Amino acid sequence: MSAAIEVVDLKKSYDTVEAVRGVGFTVGAGEIFGFLGPNGAGKTTTIKILCTLLQATSGTARLAGLDVAASPSEVRKRIGVIFQDPALDDRLTAEENLMLHAVAYRVPRADRQARIDESLHFVDLFDRRKDLTRTFSGGMKRRLEIARGLVHRPEILFLDEPTTGLDPQTRARTWEVLRELRKKYGTTLFLTTHYMDEAENCDRIAIVDHGLIVALDTPAALKQRVGKDQIAARTADPAGLARLLSEKYGLESTAADGGLTFLVEEGDAFIVKLLTASDRPPLEGISVRRPTLDDVFLSLTGRQIRVEGAEGNAAKLRALVRRRG
Amino acid sequence: MIEVVYALWRRDMIKFLRDRRQLITSLTRPFLWLLAFGFGLRASVRLPTGGADYVSFLVPGLAAMTVLFASMFAAISIVWEREFGFLKELLVAPVPRGAIVAAKILAGSATALIETSLMLLLSPLVGARFNPLGALASLPLLAIFGMTVNALGIIVAARMKSFEGFGAVVNFVIQPVFFLSGALYPISGLPRGLRAVVLVNPMSYVVDAVRGLCIGHHSFPLLLDVAVILGSAVIFAALATRAFRKMEA
Repeated sequence: MSAAIEVVDLKKSYDTVEAVRGVGFTVGAGEIFGFLGPNGAGKTTTIKILCTLLQATSGTARLAGLDVAASPSEVRKRIGVIFQDPALDDRLTAEENLMLHAVAYRVPRADRQARIDESLHFVDLFDRRKDLTRTFSGGMKRRLEIARGLVHRPEILFLDEPTTGLDPQTRARTWEVLRELRKKYGTTLFLTTHYMDEAENCDRIAIVDHGLIVALDTPAALKQRVGKDQIAARTADPAGLARLLSEKYGLESTAADGGLTFLVEEGDAFIVKLLTASDRPPLEGISVRRPTLDDVFLSLTGRQIRVEGAEGNAAKLRALVRRRG
Repeated sequence: MIEVVYALWRRDMIKFLRDRRQLITSLTRPFLWLLAFGFGLRASVRLPTGGADYVSFLVPGLAAMTVLFASMFAAISIVWEREFGFLKELLVAPVPRGAIVAAKILAGSATALIETSLMLLLSPLVGARFNPLGALASLPLLAIFGMTVNALGIIVAARMKSFEGFGAVVNFVIQPVFFLSGALYPISGLPRGLRAVVLVNPMSYVVDAVRGLCIGHHSFPLLLDVAVILGSAVIFAALATRAFRKMEA
Protein backbone atom coordinates (compact mmCIF):
# COMPACT_ATOMS: atom_id res chain seq x y z
CA MET A 1 0.00 0.00 0.00
CA SER A 2 1.45 3.39 -0.98
CA ALA A 3 1.07 6.25 1.45
CA ALA A 4 -1.79 8.68 0.93
CA ILE A 5 -0.86 10.82 3.92
CA GLU A 6 2.53 11.12 5.58
CA VAL A 7 2.88 13.36 8.60
CA VAL A 8 6.15 13.93 10.43
CA ASP A 9 6.46 15.72 13.76
CA LEU A 10 3.71 18.24 13.05
CA LYS A 11 3.32 21.12 15.48
CA LYS A 12 0.99 24.10 15.68
CA SER A 13 0.89 26.81 18.31
CA TYR A 14 -1.53 29.67 18.76
CA ASP A 15 0.11 32.43 20.76
CA THR A 16 0.77 30.58 24.00
CA VAL A 17 -1.36 27.49 23.37
CA GLU A 18 0.21 24.44 21.75
CA ALA A 19 -2.73 22.83 19.96
CA VAL A 20 -0.67 20.15 18.20
CA ARG A 21 2.56 19.15 19.91
CA GLY A 22 4.31 16.89 17.42
CA VAL A 23 2.20 14.24 15.72
CA GLY A 24 3.41 11.77 13.11
CA PHE A 25 1.62 9.01 11.23
CA THR A 26 1.15 7.44 7.81
CA VAL A 27 -2.14 6.60 6.14
CA GLY A 28 -2.21 4.07 3.32
CA ALA A 29 -4.15 4.60 0.09
CA GLY A 30 -7.72 3.39 0.48
CA GLU A 31 -7.52 3.25 4.23
CA ILE A 32 -10.15 4.58 6.65
CA PHE A 33 -8.10 6.33 9.28
CA GLY A 34 -9.56 7.89 12.39
CA PHE A 35 -8.32 10.55 14.76
CA LEU A 36 -10.03 9.81 18.05
CA GLY A 37 -9.87 12.11 20.99
CA PRO A 38 -11.77 14.53 23.18
CA ASN A 39 -12.71 18.00 22.00
CA GLY A 40 -9.73 20.30 22.12
CA ALA A 41 -7.22 17.47 21.58
CA GLY A 42 -5.95 19.07 18.35
CA LYS A 43 -7.95 17.04 15.85
CA THR A 44 -9.48 19.91 13.93
CA THR A 45 -6.21 21.82 13.91
CA THR A 46 -4.47 18.79 12.38
CA ILE A 47 -7.14 18.39 9.73
CA LYS A 48 -6.97 22.09 8.85
CA ILE A 49 -3.22 21.86 8.36
CA LEU A 50 -3.59 18.78 6.17
CA CYS A 51 -6.15 20.47 3.94
CA THR A 52 -4.05 23.66 3.60
CA LEU A 53 -6.27 25.98 5.61
CA LEU A 54 -3.67 26.49 8.32
CA GLN A 55 0.12 26.65 8.26
CA ALA A 56 1.92 24.33 10.65
CA THR A 57 4.37 25.91 13.06
CA SER A 58 6.83 23.11 12.26
CA GLY A 59 6.97 19.59 10.86
CA THR A 60 5.89 18.32 7.46
CA ALA A 61 2.76 16.84 5.97
CA ARG A 62 2.61 15.19 2.55
CA LEU A 63 -0.55 14.23 0.74
CA ALA A 64 -0.21 11.90 -2.24
CA GLY A 65 3.49 12.75 -2.08
CA LEU A 66 2.90 16.53 -2.18
CA ASP A 67 3.98 18.84 0.60
CA VAL A 68 0.94 20.75 1.87
CA ALA A 69 2.90 23.89 2.68
CA ALA A 70 4.90 23.95 -0.57
CA SER A 71 2.16 23.12 -3.09
CA PRO A 72 -1.20 23.91 -1.52
CA SER A 73 -3.07 24.28 -4.80
CA GLU A 74 -1.88 20.89 -6.10
CA VAL A 75 -2.96 19.36 -2.80
CA ARG A 76 -6.35 21.08 -2.96
CA LYS A 77 -7.10 19.48 -6.31
CA ARG A 78 -6.65 16.01 -4.85
CA ILE A 79 -8.61 16.31 -1.64
CA GLY A 80 -12.18 16.74 -0.54
CA VAL A 81 -13.06 18.21 2.82
CA ILE A 82 -16.21 17.84 4.85
CA PHE A 83 -16.10 20.26 7.73
CA GLN A 84 -17.42 19.91 11.21
CA ASP A 85 -19.96 22.66 10.64
CA PRO A 86 -21.95 22.61 7.42
CA ALA A 87 -20.21 24.56 4.67
CA LEU A 88 -23.04 24.70 2.16
CA ASP A 89 -24.47 27.82 0.62
CA ASP A 90 -27.92 27.44 2.09
CA ARG A 91 -29.55 29.89 -0.27
CA LEU A 92 -28.60 27.78 -3.27
CA THR A 93 -30.25 24.53 -4.27
CA ALA A 94 -28.55 21.19 -3.71
CA GLU A 95 -27.71 20.97 -7.37
CA GLU A 96 -26.37 24.53 -7.56
CA ASN A 97 -24.07 23.83 -4.63
CA LEU A 98 -22.63 20.81 -6.39
CA MET A 99 -22.36 22.60 -9.74
CA LEU A 100 -20.37 25.41 -8.19
CA HIS A 101 -18.10 22.83 -6.63
CA ALA A 102 -17.69 21.01 -9.96
CA VAL A 103 -16.61 24.23 -11.67
CA ALA A 104 -14.29 25.21 -8.83
CA TYR A 105 -12.58 21.81 -8.98
CA ARG A 106 -12.34 21.93 -12.79
CA VAL A 107 -14.45 18.87 -13.44
CA PRO A 108 -14.59 18.70 -17.26
CA ARG A 109 -17.76 20.39 -18.47
CA ALA A 110 -18.99 17.29 -20.29
CA ASP A 111 -18.81 15.19 -17.11
CA ARG A 112 -20.35 17.66 -14.69
CA GLN A 113 -24.03 16.89 -14.85
CA ALA A 114 -23.45 13.15 -14.83
CA ARG A 115 -21.13 13.36 -11.84
CA ILE A 116 -23.55 15.58 -9.94
CA ASP A 117 -26.48 13.26 -10.63
CA GLU A 118 -24.43 10.24 -9.63
CA SER A 119 -23.32 11.90 -6.41
CA LEU A 120 -26.87 12.92 -5.55
CA HIS A 121 -28.13 9.41 -6.20
CA PHE A 122 -25.31 8.05 -4.08
CA VAL A 123 -26.54 9.92 -1.01
CA ASP A 124 -30.22 9.54 -1.84
CA LEU A 125 -30.86 13.22 -2.44
CA PHE A 126 -31.55 13.21 -6.16
CA ASP A 127 -35.24 13.91 -5.63
CA ARG A 128 -34.42 17.00 -3.58
CA ARG A 129 -31.87 18.43 -6.02
CA LYS A 130 -33.96 21.50 -6.89
CA ASP A 131 -34.64 22.44 -3.27
CA LEU A 132 -32.81 25.18 -1.40
CA THR A 133 -30.42 23.57 1.06
CA ARG A 134 -31.74 25.77 3.87
CA THR A 135 -34.81 23.53 3.87
CA PHE A 136 -32.68 20.42 4.53
CA SER A 137 -32.34 18.65 7.89
CA GLY A 138 -28.95 18.28 9.54
CA GLY A 139 -28.56 14.74 8.25
CA MET A 140 -29.49 15.71 4.70
CA LYS A 141 -27.01 18.58 4.75
CA ARG A 142 -24.28 16.23 5.87
CA ARG A 143 -25.15 13.79 3.11
CA LEU A 144 -25.19 16.58 0.57
CA GLU A 145 -21.73 17.60 1.74
CA ILE A 146 -20.53 14.06 1.25
CA ALA A 147 -22.06 14.12 -2.24
CA ARG A 148 -20.24 17.37 -2.92
CA GLY A 149 -17.02 15.85 -1.68
CA LEU A 150 -17.42 13.14 -4.31
CA VAL A 151 -18.11 15.32 -7.34
CA HIS A 152 -14.43 15.86 -8.13
CA ARG A 153 -13.45 12.28 -7.15
CA PRO A 154 -10.83 13.21 -4.59
CA GLU A 155 -8.06 10.77 -3.76
CA ILE A 156 -8.37 11.66 -0.10
CA LEU A 157 -11.52 12.74 1.70
CA PHE A 158 -11.22 14.54 5.02
CA LEU A 159 -14.15 14.46 7.40
CA ASP A 160 -14.09 16.50 10.57
CA GLU A 161 -16.53 14.95 13.05
CA PRO A 162 -18.73 13.64 10.24
CA THR A 163 -21.66 12.54 12.36
CA THR A 164 -21.63 14.94 15.30
CA GLY A 165 -25.12 16.15 16.04
CA LEU A 166 -26.82 13.52 13.89
CA ASP A 167 -29.34 11.01 15.19
CA PRO A 168 -28.21 7.36 15.42
CA GLN A 169 -30.11 6.32 12.30
CA THR A 170 -28.57 9.06 10.20
CA ARG A 171 -25.15 8.27 11.62
CA ALA A 172 -25.53 4.65 10.56
CA ARG A 173 -26.66 5.71 7.10
CA THR A 174 -23.73 8.13 6.78
CA TRP A 175 -21.33 5.33 7.58
CA GLU A 176 -22.94 3.09 5.00
CA VAL A 177 -22.31 5.81 2.44
CA LEU A 178 -18.69 6.22 3.53
CA ARG A 179 -17.95 2.51 3.32
CA GLU A 180 -19.58 2.29 -0.09
CA LEU A 181 -17.48 5.22 -1.17
CA ARG A 182 -14.26 3.48 -0.29
CA LYS A 183 -15.41 0.28 -1.93
CA LYS A 184 -16.49 1.96 -5.13
CA TYR A 185 -13.74 4.56 -5.66
CA GLY A 186 -10.95 3.38 -3.38
CA THR A 187 -10.98 6.79 -1.66
CA THR A 188 -8.76 7.25 1.36
CA LEU A 189 -10.78 8.55 4.30
CA PHE A 190 -9.31 10.56 7.12
CA LEU A 191 -11.74 11.44 9.84
CA THR A 192 -11.82 12.86 13.32
CA THR A 193 -14.30 11.85 15.94
CA HIS A 194 -14.89 11.79 19.64
CA TYR A 195 -17.39 8.96 19.39
CA MET A 196 -15.97 5.56 20.31
CA ASP A 197 -18.50 3.60 18.31
CA GLU A 198 -17.72 5.69 15.26
CA ALA A 199 -14.02 4.99 15.63
CA GLU A 200 -14.86 1.26 15.43
CA ASN A 201 -15.59 1.81 11.73
CA CYS A 202 -11.99 2.77 11.02
CA ASP A 203 -9.26 0.47 9.79
CA ARG A 204 -6.84 2.16 12.13
CA ILE A 205 -7.19 4.75 14.86
CA ALA A 206 -4.82 7.27 16.31
CA ILE A 207 -5.86 8.18 19.81
CA VAL A 208 -4.97 11.80 20.44
CA ASP A 209 -4.92 13.72 23.66
CA HIS A 210 -3.52 17.16 24.42
CA GLY A 211 -2.04 17.49 20.94
CA LEU A 212 -0.17 14.17 20.96
CA ILE A 213 -0.86 10.71 19.57
CA VAL A 214 -0.94 8.37 22.57
CA ALA A 215 -1.69 5.17 20.61
CA LEU A 216 -2.09 4.13 16.99
CA ASP A 217 -3.42 0.75 15.86
CA THR A 218 -6.45 -1.14 14.61
CA PRO A 219 -9.48 -0.95 16.91
CA ALA A 220 -9.14 -4.67 17.68
CA ALA A 221 -5.45 -4.42 18.53
CA LEU A 222 -6.05 -1.37 20.71
CA LYS A 223 -8.68 -3.26 22.64
CA GLN A 224 -6.35 -6.24 22.82
CA ARG A 225 -3.87 -3.95 24.45
CA VAL A 226 -6.24 -3.32 27.34
CA GLY A 227 -6.53 -7.06 27.20
CA LYS A 228 -8.99 -8.82 29.28
CA ASP A 229 -12.71 -9.36 28.97
CA GLN A 230 -14.89 -8.73 31.95
CA ILE A 231 -17.14 -11.59 33.05
CA ALA A 232 -20.11 -11.09 35.36
CA ALA A 233 -21.53 -14.25 36.91
CA ARG A 234 -24.73 -14.44 38.95
CA THR A 235 -24.77 -17.13 41.58
CA ALA A 236 -26.28 -17.91 44.98
CA ASP A 237 -22.83 -19.01 46.19
CA PRO A 238 -20.37 -16.25 45.29
CA ALA A 239 -17.88 -17.40 47.92
CA GLY A 240 -17.77 -20.88 46.42
CA LEU A 241 -17.31 -19.53 42.92
CA ALA A 242 -14.59 -17.14 44.04
CA ARG A 243 -12.74 -20.01 45.67
CA LEU A 244 -12.97 -22.13 42.55
CA LEU A 245 -11.74 -19.26 40.34
CA SER A 246 -8.76 -18.55 42.51
CA GLU A 247 -7.75 -22.17 43.22
CA LYS A 248 -8.29 -23.69 39.82
CA TYR A 249 -7.65 -20.75 37.45
CA GLY A 250 -5.69 -18.33 39.58
CA LEU A 251 -8.21 -15.54 38.94
CA GLU A 252 -9.09 -12.76 41.30
CA SER A 253 -12.72 -11.75 41.50
CA THR A 254 -14.74 -8.98 43.08
CA ALA A 255 -18.14 -9.38 44.68
CA ALA A 256 -20.96 -7.72 42.81
CA ASP A 257 -24.68 -7.52 43.23
CA GLY A 258 -26.00 -11.09 43.15
CA GLY A 259 -22.67 -12.64 42.20
CA LEU A 260 -19.18 -11.53 41.20
CA THR A 261 -17.12 -10.17 38.34
CA PHE A 262 -13.64 -11.01 37.16
CA LEU A 263 -11.26 -10.26 34.31
CA VAL A 264 -9.96 -12.97 32.01
CA GLU A 265 -8.41 -13.25 28.56
CA GLU A 266 -10.65 -14.71 25.87
CA GLY A 267 -13.73 -14.55 28.01
CA ASP A 268 -16.00 -16.49 25.64
CA ALA A 269 -13.73 -19.54 25.72
CA PHE A 270 -13.38 -19.25 29.46
CA ILE A 271 -17.16 -19.33 29.94
CA VAL A 272 -17.32 -22.67 28.14
CA LYS A 273 -14.53 -24.00 30.33
CA LEU A 274 -16.30 -22.82 33.45
CA LEU A 275 -19.68 -24.23 32.44
CA THR A 276 -18.23 -27.66 31.76
CA ALA A 277 -16.31 -27.77 35.05
CA SER A 278 -17.92 -30.40 37.29
CA ASP A 279 -16.98 -28.79 40.59
CA ARG A 280 -18.52 -25.32 40.08
CA PRO A 281 -21.36 -23.98 42.21
CA PRO A 282 -24.69 -23.55 40.39
CA LEU A 283 -24.85 -20.43 38.15
CA GLU A 284 -27.94 -18.33 37.49
CA GLY A 285 -26.51 -16.27 34.69
CA ILE A 286 -23.23 -15.29 33.08
CA SER A 287 -22.20 -12.57 30.65
CA VAL A 288 -19.00 -11.39 29.00
CA ARG A 289 -18.16 -7.81 28.11
CA ARG A 290 -15.37 -7.11 25.68
CA PRO A 291 -13.18 -4.08 26.31
CA THR A 292 -14.38 -1.02 24.42
CA LEU A 293 -12.40 1.88 23.07
CA ASP A 294 -13.66 3.74 26.12
CA ASP A 295 -11.63 1.33 28.24
CA VAL A 296 -8.67 1.86 25.91
CA PHE A 297 -8.90 5.60 26.24
CA LEU A 298 -9.28 5.34 29.99
CA SER A 299 -6.28 3.07 30.34
CA LEU A 300 -4.11 5.28 28.11
CA THR A 301 -5.00 8.66 29.55
CA GLY A 302 -6.42 7.83 32.95
CA ARG A 303 -9.55 9.76 31.97
CA GLN A 304 -12.85 9.06 30.33
CA ILE A 305 -13.26 10.71 26.96
CA ARG A 306 -15.20 13.84 27.79
CA VAL A 307 -18.40 13.79 25.85
CA GLU A 308 -20.91 15.79 27.82
CA GLY A 309 -19.43 17.75 30.69
CA ALA A 310 -16.63 19.62 29.00
CA GLU A 311 -18.43 20.07 25.71
CA GLY A 312 -19.27 23.70 26.45
CA ASN A 313 -15.68 24.63 27.23
CA ALA A 314 -14.33 22.75 24.27
CA ALA A 315 -16.79 24.49 21.99
CA LYS A 316 -15.65 27.80 23.37
CA LEU A 317 -12.04 26.88 22.86
CA ARG A 318 -12.82 25.79 19.32
CA ALA A 319 -14.56 29.08 18.65
CA LEU A 320 -11.51 30.86 20.01
CA VAL A 321 -9.17 28.86 17.83
CA ARG A 322 -11.37 29.49 14.81
CA ARG A 323 -11.36 33.19 15.52
CA ARG A 324 -7.61 33.23 15.74
CA GLY A 325 -6.86 31.33 12.71
CA MET B 1 -10.22 30.65 -14.33
CA ILE B 2 -12.73 32.91 -16.09
CA GLU B 3 -15.29 30.17 -15.74
CA VAL B 4 -14.70 29.95 -12.00
CA VAL B 5 -15.03 33.74 -11.64
CA TYR B 6 -18.24 33.57 -13.64
CA ALA B 7 -19.63 30.68 -11.56
CA LEU B 8 -18.86 32.51 -8.30
CA TRP B 9 -20.25 35.78 -9.67
CA ARG B 10 -23.38 34.02 -10.82
CA ARG B 11 -23.85 32.51 -7.37
CA ASP B 12 -23.99 35.95 -5.75
CA MET B 13 -26.27 37.24 -8.49
CA ILE B 14 -28.69 34.33 -8.13
CA LYS B 15 -28.93 34.97 -4.43
CA PHE B 16 -29.39 38.70 -4.95
CA LEU B 17 -32.15 38.20 -7.51
CA ARG B 18 -33.88 35.58 -5.37
CA ASP B 19 -34.15 38.09 -2.56
CA ARG B 20 -36.65 40.57 -4.07
CA ARG B 21 -37.37 42.15 -0.74
CA GLN B 22 -33.80 43.31 -0.39
CA LEU B 23 -33.98 44.91 -3.81
CA ILE B 24 -37.10 46.84 -2.93
CA THR B 25 -35.98 47.93 0.52
CA SER B 26 -32.66 49.10 -0.91
CA LEU B 27 -34.56 51.61 -3.05
CA THR B 28 -36.24 53.21 -0.07
CA ARG B 29 -33.03 54.93 1.03
CA PRO B 30 -32.45 57.08 -2.09
CA PHE B 31 -36.15 57.84 -2.47
CA LEU B 32 -36.44 58.86 1.15
CA TRP B 33 -33.56 61.27 0.58
CA LEU B 34 -35.03 62.48 -2.68
CA LEU B 35 -38.48 63.08 -1.26
CA ALA B 36 -37.64 64.39 2.19
CA PHE B 37 -34.45 66.28 1.40
CA GLY B 38 -35.10 67.16 -2.22
CA PHE B 39 -38.63 68.43 -1.89
CA GLY B 40 -38.10 69.65 1.66
CA LEU B 41 -35.31 71.99 0.61
CA ARG B 42 -36.20 72.65 -3.00
CA ALA B 43 -37.91 75.93 -2.27
CA SER B 44 -35.12 77.33 -0.12
CA VAL B 45 -32.07 76.13 -2.12
CA ARG B 46 -30.80 78.43 -4.84
CA LEU B 47 -28.23 76.54 -6.89
CA PRO B 48 -25.36 78.33 -8.59
CA THR B 49 -26.00 76.02 -11.53
CA GLY B 50 -29.06 77.89 -12.70
CA GLY B 51 -31.40 75.62 -14.70
CA ALA B 52 -31.77 72.45 -12.62
CA ASP B 53 -33.93 72.36 -9.52
CA TYR B 54 -32.63 70.82 -6.29
CA VAL B 55 -34.45 67.49 -6.74
CA SER B 56 -32.80 66.93 -10.12
CA PHE B 57 -29.49 68.15 -8.69
CA LEU B 58 -29.70 65.47 -5.98
CA VAL B 59 -30.35 62.55 -8.31
CA PRO B 60 -26.70 62.00 -9.42
CA GLY B 61 -25.49 62.26 -5.83
CA LEU B 62 -28.10 59.77 -4.68
CA ALA B 63 -27.27 57.43 -7.57
CA ALA B 64 -23.68 57.37 -6.31
CA MET B 65 -24.94 56.96 -2.73
CA THR B 66 -27.03 53.97 -3.77
CA VAL B 67 -23.89 52.35 -5.21
CA LEU B 68 -21.91 53.24 -2.09
CA PHE B 69 -24.35 51.55 0.29
CA ALA B 70 -25.28 48.61 -1.91
CA SER B 71 -21.75 47.66 -2.88
CA MET B 72 -20.30 48.19 0.58
CA PHE B 73 -22.92 46.03 2.25
CA ALA B 74 -22.58 43.37 -0.43
CA ALA B 75 -19.12 42.74 1.05
CA ILE B 76 -20.74 41.60 4.29
CA SER B 77 -21.34 38.30 2.47
CA ILE B 78 -17.71 37.47 3.25
CA VAL B 79 -18.31 37.85 6.99
CA TRP B 80 -21.55 35.94 6.58
CA GLU B 81 -19.91 33.11 4.69
CA ARG B 82 -17.12 32.83 7.16
CA GLU B 83 -19.59 32.70 10.02
CA PHE B 84 -21.66 30.01 8.34
CA GLY B 85 -18.76 28.00 7.03
CA PHE B 86 -19.15 28.36 3.28
CA LEU B 87 -15.97 30.38 2.98
CA LYS B 88 -13.96 27.34 4.03
CA GLU B 89 -15.38 25.40 1.12
CA LEU B 90 -14.09 28.15 -1.19
CA LEU B 91 -10.71 28.51 0.49
CA VAL B 92 -9.98 24.80 0.36
CA ALA B 93 -10.92 24.59 -3.33
CA PRO B 94 -8.17 24.81 -5.96
CA VAL B 95 -9.28 28.33 -6.87
CA PRO B 96 -6.84 31.26 -6.80
CA ARG B 97 -7.75 33.75 -4.06
CA GLY B 98 -7.66 36.48 -6.71
CA ALA B 99 -10.50 34.76 -8.60
CA ILE B 100 -12.68 34.76 -5.48
CA VAL B 101 -11.99 38.46 -4.90
CA ALA B 102 -12.65 39.30 -8.56
CA ALA B 103 -15.99 37.48 -8.46
CA LYS B 104 -16.99 39.23 -5.24
CA ILE B 105 -16.06 42.67 -6.58
CA LEU B 106 -17.86 42.11 -9.88
CA ALA B 107 -20.97 40.79 -8.14
CA GLY B 108 -21.02 43.61 -5.58
CA SER B 109 -20.70 46.11 -8.40
CA ALA B 110 -23.38 44.41 -10.51
CA THR B 111 -25.92 44.35 -7.70
CA ALA B 112 -25.21 48.01 -6.97
CA LEU B 113 -25.58 48.78 -10.67
CA ILE B 114 -29.01 47.13 -10.74
CA GLU B 115 -30.13 49.14 -7.74
CA THR B 116 -28.82 52.47 -8.99
CA SER B 117 -30.29 51.86 -12.47
CA LEU B 118 -33.69 51.28 -10.91
CA MET B 119 -33.28 54.40 -8.87
CA LEU B 120 -32.42 56.47 -11.97
CA LEU B 121 -35.26 54.87 -13.90
CA LEU B 122 -37.85 55.61 -11.22
CA SER B 123 -36.73 59.07 -10.12
CA PRO B 124 -38.47 60.94 -13.02
CA LEU B 125 -41.72 59.60 -11.54
CA VAL B 126 -41.26 61.93 -8.57
CA GLY B 127 -40.35 64.86 -10.77
CA ALA B 128 -36.57 64.65 -11.30
CA ARG B 129 -35.43 65.95 -14.69
CA PHE B 130 -32.13 64.91 -16.30
CA ASN B 131 -30.66 63.82 -19.60
CA PRO B 132 -31.51 60.13 -20.00
CA LEU B 133 -28.56 59.50 -22.33
CA GLY B 134 -26.26 61.14 -19.82
CA ALA B 135 -27.65 58.84 -17.14
CA LEU B 136 -27.02 55.86 -19.41
CA ALA B 137 -23.45 57.01 -20.00
CA SER B 138 -23.00 57.32 -16.21
CA LEU B 139 -23.73 53.65 -15.58
CA PRO B 140 -20.24 52.32 -16.46
CA LEU B 141 -18.69 54.91 -14.14
CA LEU B 142 -21.10 53.99 -11.35
CA ALA B 143 -20.28 50.31 -11.92
CA ILE B 144 -16.55 50.96 -11.58
CA PHE B 145 -17.18 53.01 -8.46
CA GLY B 146 -19.13 49.99 -7.19
CA MET B 147 -16.01 47.85 -7.62
CA THR B 148 -13.92 50.33 -5.63
CA VAL B 149 -16.44 50.40 -2.81
CA ASN B 150 -16.84 46.63 -2.74
CA ALA B 151 -13.07 46.23 -2.66
CA LEU B 152 -12.97 48.56 0.35
CA GLY B 153 -15.73 46.46 1.92
CA ILE B 154 -13.66 43.30 1.36
CA ILE B 155 -10.65 44.91 3.03
CA VAL B 156 -12.82 45.60 6.09
CA ALA B 157 -14.57 42.20 5.96
CA ALA B 158 -11.28 40.31 5.76
CA ARG B 159 -10.35 41.72 9.14
CA MET B 160 -13.75 41.54 10.81
CA LYS B 161 -14.99 38.44 12.53
CA SER B 162 -18.51 39.58 13.33
CA PHE B 163 -21.44 41.31 11.66
CA GLU B 164 -21.48 43.93 14.40
CA GLY B 165 -17.81 44.70 13.85
CA PHE B 166 -18.30 45.00 10.12
CA GLY B 167 -21.38 47.19 10.55
CA ALA B 168 -19.61 49.51 12.97
CA VAL B 169 -16.51 50.00 10.82
CA VAL B 170 -18.49 50.35 7.62
CA ASN B 171 -20.77 53.00 9.08
CA PHE B 172 -17.71 54.81 10.36
CA VAL B 173 -16.34 54.86 6.79
CA ILE B 174 -19.50 55.23 4.76
CA GLN B 175 -20.99 58.31 6.43
CA PRO B 176 -18.07 60.70 5.88
CA VAL B 177 -17.54 59.37 2.35
CA PHE B 178 -21.17 60.13 1.55
CA PHE B 179 -21.55 63.46 3.32
CA LEU B 180 -18.19 64.82 2.15
CA SER B 181 -18.65 63.97 -1.51
CA GLY B 182 -20.77 66.82 -2.80
CA ALA B 183 -23.66 64.41 -3.28
CA LEU B 184 -25.99 66.78 -1.44
CA TYR B 185 -24.55 70.21 -2.30
CA PRO B 186 -22.38 71.94 -4.88
CA ILE B 187 -18.76 71.97 -3.72
CA SER B 188 -18.00 75.38 -5.18
CA GLY B 189 -19.19 77.25 -2.12
CA LEU B 190 -17.33 75.21 0.51
CA PRO B 191 -14.75 76.68 2.91
CA ARG B 192 -11.19 75.85 1.91
CA GLY B 193 -10.53 73.17 4.58
CA LEU B 194 -13.72 71.26 3.89
CA ARG B 195 -13.16 71.52 0.17
CA ALA B 196 -9.74 69.90 0.60
CA VAL B 197 -11.38 66.92 2.30
CA VAL B 198 -13.95 66.65 -0.48
CA LEU B 199 -11.16 66.71 -3.06
CA VAL B 200 -9.41 63.63 -1.64
CA ASN B 201 -12.66 61.66 -1.54
CA PRO B 202 -12.92 59.49 -4.68
CA MET B 203 -16.71 59.59 -4.50
CA SER B 204 -16.65 63.35 -5.18
CA TYR B 205 -15.39 62.61 -8.68
CA VAL B 206 -18.11 60.03 -9.27
CA VAL B 207 -20.80 62.49 -8.21
CA ASP B 208 -19.19 65.18 -10.34
CA ALA B 209 -19.01 63.00 -13.45
CA VAL B 210 -22.56 61.70 -13.13
CA ARG B 211 -23.92 65.18 -12.42
CA GLY B 212 -22.04 66.53 -15.41
CA LEU B 213 -23.47 63.85 -17.67
CA CYS B 214 -27.01 64.08 -16.29
CA ILE B 215 -27.63 67.79 -15.74
CA GLY B 216 -24.55 69.41 -17.28
CA HIS B 217 -23.18 70.80 -14.03
CA HIS B 218 -19.66 69.80 -12.99
CA SER B 219 -16.63 71.17 -11.17
CA PHE B 220 -13.82 69.05 -12.65
CA PRO B 221 -13.00 68.00 -16.22
CA LEU B 222 -14.69 64.71 -17.08
CA LEU B 223 -11.32 63.22 -17.95
CA LEU B 224 -10.04 63.87 -14.43
CA ASP B 225 -13.18 62.29 -12.99
CA VAL B 226 -12.72 59.18 -15.11
CA ALA B 227 -9.02 58.95 -14.24
CA VAL B 228 -9.74 59.13 -10.49
CA ILE B 229 -12.59 56.60 -10.78
CA LEU B 230 -10.43 54.10 -12.68
CA GLY B 231 -7.31 54.72 -10.59
CA SER B 232 -9.06 54.22 -7.26
CA ALA B 233 -10.69 51.02 -8.55
CA VAL B 234 -7.31 49.54 -9.48
CA ILE B 235 -5.71 50.53 -6.17
CA PHE B 236 -8.53 49.23 -3.99
CA ALA B 237 -8.91 45.99 -5.95
CA ALA B 238 -5.21 45.30 -5.43
CA LEU B 239 -5.47 46.06 -1.71
CA ALA B 240 -8.56 43.85 -1.39
CA THR B 241 -6.78 40.93 -3.05
CA ARG B 242 -3.88 41.35 -0.65
CA ALA B 243 -6.17 41.52 2.39
CA PHE B 244 -8.07 38.44 1.25
CA ARG B 245 -4.87 36.46 0.67
CA LYS B 246 -3.72 37.17 4.18
CA MET B 247 -7.02 36.14 5.69
CA GLU B 248 -7.39 32.68 7.14
CA ALA B 249 -10.61 30.72 7.47
